[in-house]
Amino acid sequence: MDILYLLVPVSVLLALAVLAVFAWALKSGQFEEVEEEGERILDEEASPPG
Amino acid sequence: MKNAGMESVGSAPAAPRVVTPIIPSRPAPSGDAPPETRAWAVAGLHCAACAEALGQQLAAVPGVRSARVGYAAGMAVVEAPAEVQAGLQAALPGFRLAPLTPASSAQLRRDEARALLWRLFVAGFCSMQIMMLAAPTYFAEGAEVPADLRQLLGLASWVLSWPVMLWSAQPFLAGAWRSLRTGRLGMDLPVALGAVATFVASSLALFDPSGRWGSELYFDSLTMFIAFLLAGRWVELKARHAAAAELARLLAEPEALAQRERPAGGVEAVKLEALAAGDVLRVALGETLPVDGELLDAPALLDESLLSGESRPVRHLPGATLLAGSLNLGAPLRLRARGAAGEGRAAALARQLQRALTERPQRPGLADKAAQAFLAGVLLLALLAGAVWSLIEPARALEVVCAVLIVSCPCAFALAAPAARVASHRRLAREGLLLQRLDALETLADIDTVLLDKTGTLTAPRASAQAQWPGAEAKLGAAAALAAWSRHPMAQAVARLGADATRWSAVEERPGQGLRGLDAEGKAWRLGADGAGGLGFGPEGESPWMRFALDEQARDDAPALVRALQAAGLRLRLLSGDAPSRVQALAAHLGLSEAQGGCSPEAKRAAVQAAQQAGARVLMVGDGLNDAPVLAQADASLAVVGAAPLAARAADALLLRGGLAAVPLLIRQARRTRAVTRQNLIWAAAYNLLALPLAVMGWLPPWAAGLGMALSSALVVGNALRLVRED
Repeated sequence: MDILYLLVPVSVLLALAVLAVFAWALKSGQFEEVEEEGERILDEEASPPG
Repeated sequence: MKNAGMESVGSAPAAPRVVTPIIPSRPAPSGDAPPETRAWAVAGLHCAACAEALGQQLAAVPGVRSARVGYAAGMAVVEAPAEVQAGLQAALPGFRLAPLTPASSAQLRRDEARALLWRLFVAGFCSMQIMMLAAPTYFAEGAEVPADLRQLLGLASWVLSWPVMLWSAQPFLAGAWRSLRTGRLGMDLPVALGAVATFVASSLALFDPSGRWGSELYFDSLTMFIAFLLAGRWVELKARHAAAAELARLLAEPEALAQRERPAGGVEAVKLEALAAGDVLRVALGETLPVDGELLDAPALLDESLLSGESRPVRHLPGATLLAGSLNLGAPLRLRARGAAGEGRAAALARQLQRALTERPQRPGLADKAAQAFLAGVLLLALLAGAVWSLIEPARALEVVCAVLIVSCPCAFALAAPAARVASHRRLAREGLLLQRLDALETLADIDTVLLDKTGTLTAPRASAQAQWPGAEAKLGAAAALAAWSRHPMAQAVARLGADATRWSAVEERPGQGLRGLDAEGKAWRLGADGAGGLGFGPEGESPWMRFALDEQARDDAPALVRALQAAGLRLRLLSGDAPSRVQALAAHLGLSEAQGGCSPEAKRAAVQAAQQAGARVLMVGDGLNDAPVLAQADASLAVVGAAPLAARAADALLLRGGLAAVPLLIRQARRTRAVTRQNLIWAAAYNLLALPLAVMGWLPPWAAGLGMALSSALVVGNALRLVRED
């Protein structure tokens, strides 16, 4: 069980990293207009690939 | 526990009241700077009590004459000199203010939602991590976990609790600090006390396991209940923002078009965004100026209450600068635009919103005092429970105190009525109905009689032209061009016949008397009632050259409206100033048994009063300029679209677009709102009666307390959201 002495601190750091990533995602507006991406397929104005 | 929304639940009809329309007069401003009335978008109002608290805070800022805050729209209206307005944000640390333009208030809402989402995520995520770290101790009291490993897990939990205390708990801590400073008990206080006490005690238990606080760690409960509380707030915020966005969408439409003169002659309707400096605009009687500009041709009479606070009409001479947002009270005027719509548009929007959306709870003092008493009681109870438990079983005393503080939810009471009102507002806005007074919903639920106006409400006018002698029909285009200057339904019907490029100047319109204008040669012409129910057009002082017979068709949706209202159990009456024979004919066509023609505006008002004195609660549906006093006399009033905006001021609700089917919807929605409010209040009372004893007895762990509180608020909001759906 000695491995826990390593794993527990690492998991704390990981949790803090997750918080940091979420903060970035929120700031860059990833969570606004979540519906829009799904509707983009139906959008006639967007140019087709190729 | 009373709430402001409960005053007239199932009450007997009130004593008949005589209402005279009040023309607000403001006292002359003391001091040099004139106060201006400005509307602000506010972030940080998570309950109606916050709105009240903010209102009081604003009123206490030196220099502020008055302040009103509306919870539902997230809006504050402040009357203060310009430099005080500029400094308002600095004087209010707990809330964020932004100018009330659609763009900036949408941005403010976005920021508010983002901040809450961040806090919610931190609390939720950290609480789950902490729970995993604490899981070993859940089984057999963690007896098999070695002591040093236990300490490590506890330390890790402690580290992960800091983000929650720093970010997620901030609204509660800040709110509690504010309530301590102002001496008012707010519901953030028990939550903050519970959170801080738990954190401190658990930290002490971690670093000094043999000390007084025992060795029990509650970081998992702490972070979990904060997460649950924030989730409850999230639900409430989404509901509120959805309503505000719907309202913004609705209000963006009505004044979106301006009448611009074409260089070649004639008038076209253009979107406000398309206006540019130098355009010549026409503003009819009763319309709001969309942009700043220079007055052309003739003196004008304007209401500038949005800008100056003075509601007395102001007279301007040609060449003067007129400001966007003023209301044209006199002759139709011509304006050369000074700039694009932009800011001026915001001012006009703010003016409509300001009247519409700041709630005025009828008995704020009572609800407020009751809430404070309730909170004081909870704090006392927590102390008592803690004292008793520290004698019986000291290890559990903290847990019990925390549970009692967290579980009591005044927010369910606080949200019961506002959540329902907000939801209803949103539903009505979707159908094109704008409530000018949110508490009109209460009155509307009691309505048992509906008085309908005829012209423009149930009927749409149709004009047919008849030249009085050969050759006169050449003047048809000119007559229609003159008619286009007015917003009156009859004039609009004539204008629809096809206006030509005739230029009219010095056009005057008097309510009830018609239009008078000068043509290119300076000759005066009149378009007005010809005494036979139609309009006559001719030179002033001579007999008319053209007669316009005005035919009325019942609107297509009128019979359905009558049937729906009768099905709802309402008594209907038709009142009109038109000839009795036509009124009876229409009544027969629509299936109305009570109809009265030949009513002057005063006779209509008297009819409303008589009905009220007989014990009825009257809803008046009308539109014309002449109806304003009648609309004010009725218990509730609705002005139909196409209504001259002057009449719209006195009405409790406006039908901005859509058909007459909105009228029965309005009444149905009001009744449903009352039912939902009652359900919410009953739930809030039952919840507290059940949960508090459980917490005191020690049967409620803190996380369950947090869950209970959040679920209770979410339930209230969720119940209210039923009002948004179609019924």
